[in-house]
Parts: sequence; structure tokens; C-alpha cells
Amino acid sequence: MNLEGRRYLVYFLVAFTGVFYLFRLFYMQILDGSWAARASQISERKREVIPPRGVVLDRNGKQVVSNKTSYNIMMIESKITHLDTAAFAALIGWDKQKVIDRFKEIRIKEGYYKNSATGKTTSNYRKDRPYPFVKEISPDEMLRIAPKLSKFPGFYEEPTHTRFYPYPYAANIFGYLNEVIKEEVEKDPFYRPGMNIGRAGIERSYENVFRGKKGVRFVVTNANNNDISTSSKNSFDTLAVPSPTIQLGLDIDLQAYGELLMSNKRGCIVAIEPATGEILAMVSAPSYDPNMLSGRKNIKENYPTLIADSSLPLFARPLQAEYPPGSIFKLVQALICLQENKIAPNTSFPCNKSLVGCHGHPTAGSVMDAIKYSCNPYFYAAVKRVIEPGKNPNINQDAAIGLDNWHAYMTSFGLGIKPKIDIDAQAQRSGLIPNSAYYNKYLGKGNWSFSTIRSISIGQGEIKMTPIQMANIAAIIANRGWYYTPHFVKKIGKNGPLDAYKTKHFTKVNARHFEPIIDGMWRVVHESGGTGKEAQLKEIVVCGKTGTVQNGPNRENHSVFIAFAPRENPKIALAVFVENAGAGGSFAAPIAGLMIEKYLKKVVTNEAKEKKIINTKILR
Amino acid sequence: MRKNEQIFFRIDWPLLVGILLLMMLGILTVYSVAYTPKAPSIFDFSQKYGKQLFWVSISLFFGFIILLIDSSIYRKYAEIIYFSTLVLLVLVLFMPPVNGARAWLGIGSLGIQPAEFAKVSTSLLLAKWVDMTNMKLQGPRTVFEYLAIIFIPSLFIALQPDAGTLLVFTSFFFVMYREGISFDPVILYALKFFPNLKFKTTWLGTHFIPFLFFLLIMSVTSLYLSNVNTDFFGVLLSGTTALSLFISILGLLIFGVVLLLGYRRQRAKHLIILVGSYLFTLLVILSVTFVFNHVAKPHQKNRIELVLGLKEDPNGTDYNRNRAMAAVGSGGVIGKGYKNASISSVRSNHVPESETDFIFCPFAEEWGFIGAVVLLSTYLFVLFRIFIIAERQRGPFFRAYAYAVGVIMFYHFAINIGMNIGLSPVIGIPLPFMSYGGSSMMAFSIMVFILLKLDSQRYDFLR
Repeated sequence: MNLEGRRYLVYFLVAFTGVFYLFRLFYMQILDGSWAARASQISERKREVIPPRGVVLDRNGKQVVSNKTSYNIMMIESKITHLDTAAFAALIGWDKQKVIDRFKEIRIKEGYYKNSATGKTTSNYRKDRPYPFVKEISPDEMLRIAPKLSKFPGFYEEPTHTRFYPYPYAANIFGYLNEVIKEEVEKDPFYRPGMNIGRAGIERSYENVFRGKKGVRFVVTNANNNDISTSSKNSFDTLAVPSPTIQLGLDIDLQAYGELLMSNKRGCIVAIEPATGEILAMVSAPSYDPNMLSGRKNIKENYPTLIADSSLPLFARPLQAEYPPGSIFKLVQALICLQENKIAPNTSFPCNKSLVGCHGHPTAGSVMDAIKYSCNPYFYAAVKRVIEPGKNPNINQDAAIGLDNWHAYMTSFGLGIKPKIDIDAQAQRSGLIPNSAYYNKYLGKGNWSFSTIRSISIGQGEIKMTPIQMANIAAIIANRGWYYTPHFVKKIGKNGPLDAYKTKHFTKVNARHFEPIIDGMWRVVHESGGTGKEAQLKEIVVCGKTGTVQNGPNRENHSVFIAFAPRENPKIALAVFVENAGAGGSFAAPIAGLMIEKYLKKVVTNEAKEKKIINTKILR
Repeated sequence: MRKNEQIFFRIDWPLLVGILLLMMLGILTVYSVAYTPKAPSIFDFSQKYGKQLFWVSISLFFGFIILLIDSSIYRKYAEIIYFSTLVLLVLVLFMPPVNGARAWLGIGSLGIQPAEFAKVSTSLLLAKWVDMTNMKLQGPRTVFEYLAIIFIPSLFIALQPDAGTLLVFTSFFFVMYREGISFDPVILYALKFFPNLKFKTTWLGTHFIPFLFFLLIMSVTSLYLSNVNTDFFGVLLSGTTALSLFISILGLLIFGVVLLLGYRRQRAKHLIILVGSYLFTLLVILSVTFVFNHVAKPHQKNRIELVLGLKEDPNGTDYNRNRAMAAVGSGGVIGKGYKNASISSVRSNHVPESETDFIFCPFAEEWGFIGAVVLLSTYLFVLFRIFIIAERQRGPFFRAYAYAVGVIMFYHFAINIGMNIGLSPVIGIPLPFMSYGGSSMMAFSIMVFILLKLDSQRYDFLR
């Protein structure tokens, strides 16, 4: 037997194994990329980097919406080692049972997954995944909790961001954020469960700006899906692009002052810069502190209260409430009559109370005086000439022709149509300016003529306007015939407002017809017998018009006032609408005066008037 | 004591250097894998790298002592050493189980695994038996004695259970084969019951052990490839076809070599053996594949697939191997760099046991193909050195012992690295001198240092 030769068998085995393994390694490590790809798949996770939400400045550069850091206590169940529930509960300020229930709650919220093949139901909850256990803890409180948290393995803190509003005003403008719903996540790849989305106000309408652009970062994770390093080498990483700063046309001090004046009242103040269409203030009373709806804990606590409140604080009245405008509507009527050449500035009509009721005043010898006295019969007679142009012998058909012509004018003033302000479109109402089709539908064709619908001539009847439309009328008159669509956002980063707010809209009324109207508005405030003398200011020439909106029997009238100032080169146009406050001159006019002074002079001289307004309680 | 002074000049330095290199790579890899920023010092004995350093130091200390002791005691007291280990193997069965096996004697990190030391003691007794056996007077009793030496410790190891070490014990068959222990007498004894058959010796009996292993390896390979489609240089072939093709090409090559270079006198006999082996191999491949695919019942098939890791079993053995292979493959040419094993470090935890049985995986991930070539070359160098040392021994005891050390290390090397690169089933045995763990480090060191000592004294015996 050749035993010596048997060594070659062993040599062969060793050598063959070695060479075979080297070839295998060469194949695995160099030729075949699939194992490296599998390694990336195992260890690399794409992490989305969400930039902080954009901040908002007011027109003077004051930060009005900012971000606040708060902390979540995260929990990974697999890392918990014999938790002292009582001590942990004491640390986070809960009772013991709440801690126990919270574990169950998280589990239930994750839901269950049914395997269609096996029919087995398994929980989506994973013991090795982090879940927020306690949400939104303030930095102060975290300072107390954090040092002791390390005694509880499986728990750690993680910063999150919530909105913070340094000024507790303008809630209806800013809107609020809330967690995205399933449908939104499915529709837009930007969103992941747990993220926030703008729910109302500019947070909603500028959502695409505020959220910025997500970045992508590839990180290396361990088997428990925790990051162990950021692979900065990876060229696929993209940086998150934060939202540009949004600057509003809003003057937060004016807004705050308006909300102060409107305390314990129901109504609105809308102020617009006529030259730009920027909204300077939009007060909706009563309102709420926007911080009440910042963060999920607050929303959970406060939203049900706000939605149940009978004074409707969540209701953005300036955009959504449709009121009859009352006498302020006469300004538009007068402009249309002048343009249609149905009256001249010095046309006179007697104050014939048999046509329509009026208060005692001297006969208006001109359209200026008619505005000053707010003479109802004057406008009845003047508008009658427009609605009954005499183009058709049939009185009904003639009224239809006249009304539709009149309606076209109204549309050019932005009335009866949605204003398309840069705030969620669903929240905006169009008001109502009836045309022939409207009356044909409700009264029947041929069943109506001017006398049937005469109350529209003085801004009652079917006419409905939103306060923002009222303020815009003041802006149009201040501009002598044109307007920019009112809007909140003045600047997005370095760019101006959206293109939609750079287009001048001209009314169908020639600029020259505005002077007599403005003169009338001046008389309202400055001449004896004017209805709006309460709006008068020492050094500022205010032009305004009162309105007293009849509100059905046994109810106090609504007090309305629209105005702009100064008369030449106007800086502010506004509308004040106070529900159930009585005559326009007595309540809305002084508020308008105070607002104008506050905006143009920064200080209010008539403190007695201011105090009286603030202290008046209408809302019960 | 001139002998002791000379001993350091006589020992086989290349082997010692190779072993020390492996130990060093082991410590560095354990340090990299188990590194935690909380304990950055490699000398931190609360950490695995500190402990590994400690184990290596202890092992080298034992090794040094072994070099100072007269080597004749190993032959003299082989039985005592063997039976002491057996006692430990019995005792360990009464210990509380750790990870489902009663493998640990002692407490915590100070425990030892007697199974590791059983390899040394069995090697020694086997070598002594080889020395004592008159090879010319073999009978069935001789074979059974050897089988008893191998299988008594194996039985206790099987009871732990420790499948890996059990498998390693089959390596002793190669020692038997090399030393000429033939299964012939057993087969001839069995053939007595067939009176009409008359054989003097049987080829099968003489080469029974390699034949057995060949059969086993071919069967397992066939099973691996039975349901796999292989991309064979761009052509998609079924695994079985590819294997048959490979065997045919290999057969033709050997056929050519024998035809050109073989001894002229024995050419015909060799060619007949070759053709026979070739046909037999094909038969094995096809029949195993056929039985597996068409005869085996689904549950049997399932079980085989699970054991071999053919089935996606993310929570079982396949999870570990799959991840280990991903880690090795992602190493590329030059690797990810030291301490950058993003898949297989303990921190990332994607490959469990990456500091013990799967330590090749972080090494290959960190140092890439170049590192793997260096490591494999070092192992191959050490293995060949051991076999060269074995072949230069004068006495059967020395040679048999050296062979035992060589084949045990080869088994560990082949199975351990094989499971990291998907070429062998996942069997939990350590990579010699590299895997974290005291028992295997000490057992392998003792084994190799005894070999070094025996080798250094080879001229003192049987001159």
C-alpha cells in the first residue's frame, strides 16, 4: 500500500478548497454587485429631511408666526428593561394607570394587518420601533425630565416643532396646522403619517410654500432600525430647502388694536392699503388666540370648545359672513348713475318719504348732499332711472335690461363674485347681487319690475356683501376706479405677491365720476348734518359713509361704516361692521376713525372715545 | 538543559509566525467589531476585545509552558488526558443550558467548553493508537477500537448538543486513512456471509473513507444545486446540468493528465478507476437529485431544505447566512475600512454572532477581497505548514497527531469560511485563532504548541 501517496489527497482537498473559496470571494466581492446591493438594502435607510416650516413677518418685519421647539418622549418597547411604572409616571407627571393605558393606546392606534394568504391577523405595532409616548413637552419641562430619563431604558427625547404666535391675534388669517389624514398622504407623496398640514388661513393656502422642499439623506441603520451613522459619502443625498420667509401686508399692531376695539362685540374690521390691495388688518370678532390650536395636544383640548362656542370664533366673518350692506351701497349706486348719465353731480331729488322711509334732513341738492344725508328717496329715484332705462315698452322687460346692465357694473366692483383672496377658497363667499335671472327664478318672469325690487337701491333686500367686499369698495373709491384683489401675502422670500395680485381691475365707472362721490364722503365726516361725524380726526382728512342695516323686527340694527384716508393719496381704506350696534354713525364710524388714526399716526388722541368703545359690551 | 535552550531554535518558526499573525488579526477584528465608544481601550477587560486579548495571552502562556515541558508525556499519558476530558464531557451535561446547549463548564465568561479540549485529547489518543497498532495485523477489532476512540467523546458532544464539533470529529477519519487503517477487514468480515464471493482486498474497503466523504460532498452539492438555476458564463443552466458539466470537464482534464503523465504500467488501471468514478459520480448526482425532487415527501424535502439553508427562512439560519454574505459581498476590492463594517459590526447587529462564528464576515467587509486573499493565504500557509511538518515526522505518533491537528483546522477553516460565503450550511464552529472565545483559542493553541514541541523534538526520538 502506498500510504505516502495518500497525503496528496489531503493536499488536494486543502488547495482545492482554498482556490475555490478565493474564486468564490472574487465573484462575490468584485464581479457580482447583487450582494453589495443587498447590503445597502439591509443597512441603508432613506431618511427624509423635512425643513422647518416657513415663518411669517408682518408688513413692518415683526415675526408673527414662528416655530417653537418642543419634545416628544419616544419609546422603544424592546429596549425597556423592567420599567418602574410608578417612578416613570411620577417623572412625566401622569398617574400610573395612564402610563399603562398609553402602552395599550399606542398599540391599538397602529392597527392590525390581516394576511390575506394565511388569514392571520397581526399587529402593525413593532416592539423595536420608536413611538411617541408623551407628546409635546415644553423645553422647560424637558429640562427637568431629561436628566432622569436615562434611568428608564427604552425612552428618549426627540425634538419636534410646533407653531408659535408671538401676537395672540389674527387667528382667522393664520389658520392652524393639524396632522395629515390618510387621503392626503395617499394623494401627495410629500406627506407621511404624523406630519402636519395647513388646515385653514394662509397656512392652508400657502401650504406648498410653507412646507419647503424635502431633502433626502441616506443613513446606515442597525438591525433595530436605529441610525448608527450618516453616510455623508452618498452622493444621492439632497439638501432640504426651507420655505422662504413670507411677509404679510398685515400690520400686527393695527390688527391687535382692531381686535381690542371689537372686544365683546360681534362683527368685523377690514383694512386695505388701496394702492396695493394688501390687507392691513382683518378683524373677526369674536376670535381666539391662535396659540390655542398650536400643537396636537392643544388642538385636542381646545378645538371641541371652539367649535361648540355659540359665538363662532372659528368663523372668519370678513370672508364668510354675508350681510346686507345698507347705505354704504349708495356710493356704488351713485357712481353707476353718474356713469350711466342718469344724474349729474348737481341733480336734486326731493326727499319723498312716500317712496321709501327716511330720516329728517334738508333736501339734498346734489349727489354729494344725498350721500352726506344718506337720503333714501334720492337713491330710489336715481337708481330707478338706471333700472328702468326705457329701452323696452314693457315695464318688466325694461327692468330686466336695466338690472342686468346694473349687475355688470356691480361685478366690475367685485360684488356678487368670490374675491379670490389668498386664503382657502372654500372659506370665501361671493355675497349676492341679483340679476334678472335671479328674480325670474324666484319671482317668475314678468312678475317683477323696479318697484318690486326697489329696496336694492339702498342696499337692502336681496343685496348681500361680505365685509372684505365692503372694504374693497372703499379702496376702489380711494383709487378712483380700480383695485387690486385684496391679499395677505406681500412678499414670498424676495419675490412679490402672487401674479394674481399684480393685475389692476378697473371698474366700468370713469375716474372723473369718483370726485363728487369722494366729496360726498368728505361731507359725511366733516360737514354739519353728516352722518359719520364720529369718524372725524384732527389732522387727517377722512372720507366715509355710514350704513345702518335693518335687521328684521325687534332686532337692533347693524352698524356699518366704510372709509378711506387721507382724501388725497389714500393710505388706508376700511370697512367696519358691528352687529346689532345701532346706527352706522354712532358705533362703526368712531371705530373707523380710531383705526385710521392708529394706522396713520400710531397713537390715538381721543382716549375717552377709545375707552368707551372698548368697554361697550354688545355680545352676551 | 541544553535541549531547552535549543528548543526555541528548533521550533518551526514559520508556523508559529502564521499562528501569531492569525491571533493578531483576530484581536484587531474583534476590537473593530465589538468596539464601543464607551470603552475605547483595547485593554478594557470588560469588553470582548479586552477579553480576547486576555485569552490570547493565556493561550500563549500555556504554549510557552508546553514548549518547556518534555513532550514524551503526551504519548505516555494520552489515555489519562483522554479520560479526564471524557469526565468533563459527562460533567458538562449536568450544567444549566446556555443558548439551548449544555456546552459550558463553569460560570459566565470564565467557563470553558470541554468539547474544544476533547479535540486535543482525542487527537493524542488516536495518535498513540496509531503508534501502537501493527498495521499488518489489522482486523475488524482494530477498526472498532479506532471508531470507539472517535465516537465515545462524539456521543457526549452530541448530547450537549453541539452539531458543529460533532462534525469536526469526523475529520479523524482522514487521519485513519492517511495512517492506513483500512475498513477492509470489516468489509471482508461482512463478505463472509456471502460464501460465493472471494476477495483478497477490496478497493472500496481500502479507500472507504475518502469514498464516504466524496459521496457525502457530491450528495450535498447535488442537493444545493437541485433547484437552482446557475448563470454559467452567461448561459442559464439548471444546477444539476451545470454540476454534471463541471464534473465531465474535470474528468476529461484528469483523463488527459493521466494519459500524458501517468505511470505507463498503471495507466490502464487508473483510467478504469477514473471512468468508473466518473460514471459513479454522475449516478450519485442524478439519483440524489431525482430522489430529492420526485421521491422525497414534501415534509422531508422541507426539512432537508431548512437544514441546508436552501429555503428562505428569515428567522432561522438563512437569515444569518444571507446577511453575512451581503456583508462579505459589500466589502468590494479594498473593503470599507477598519471599524467600518456597517453590516456585520456588533453595533449594527445585522449579522448576529459576527464576533464569534461569523468573524470572517466583518473581516471581509472591512478589508475587502484583498484582505480576504491575505487571510485565506495565511490559513492555507498554516495548513500546508502543518501537513509538511506532519510528513517530516519519523514516528507514526508524531505524524498522526500532526495530521489530526491539520485536518481539524482544515475542517474549521473550510466550514466556517464556507458558511460566510454561502458554500456550506450554517454550522456553529469557530474560525481557529480568530473567533472570539476562550476555549477554542486555548484548545487550538495547546494543539498547535504541542505540535511545535513534538516537531522540535523529532530528532530526539526514534533516532
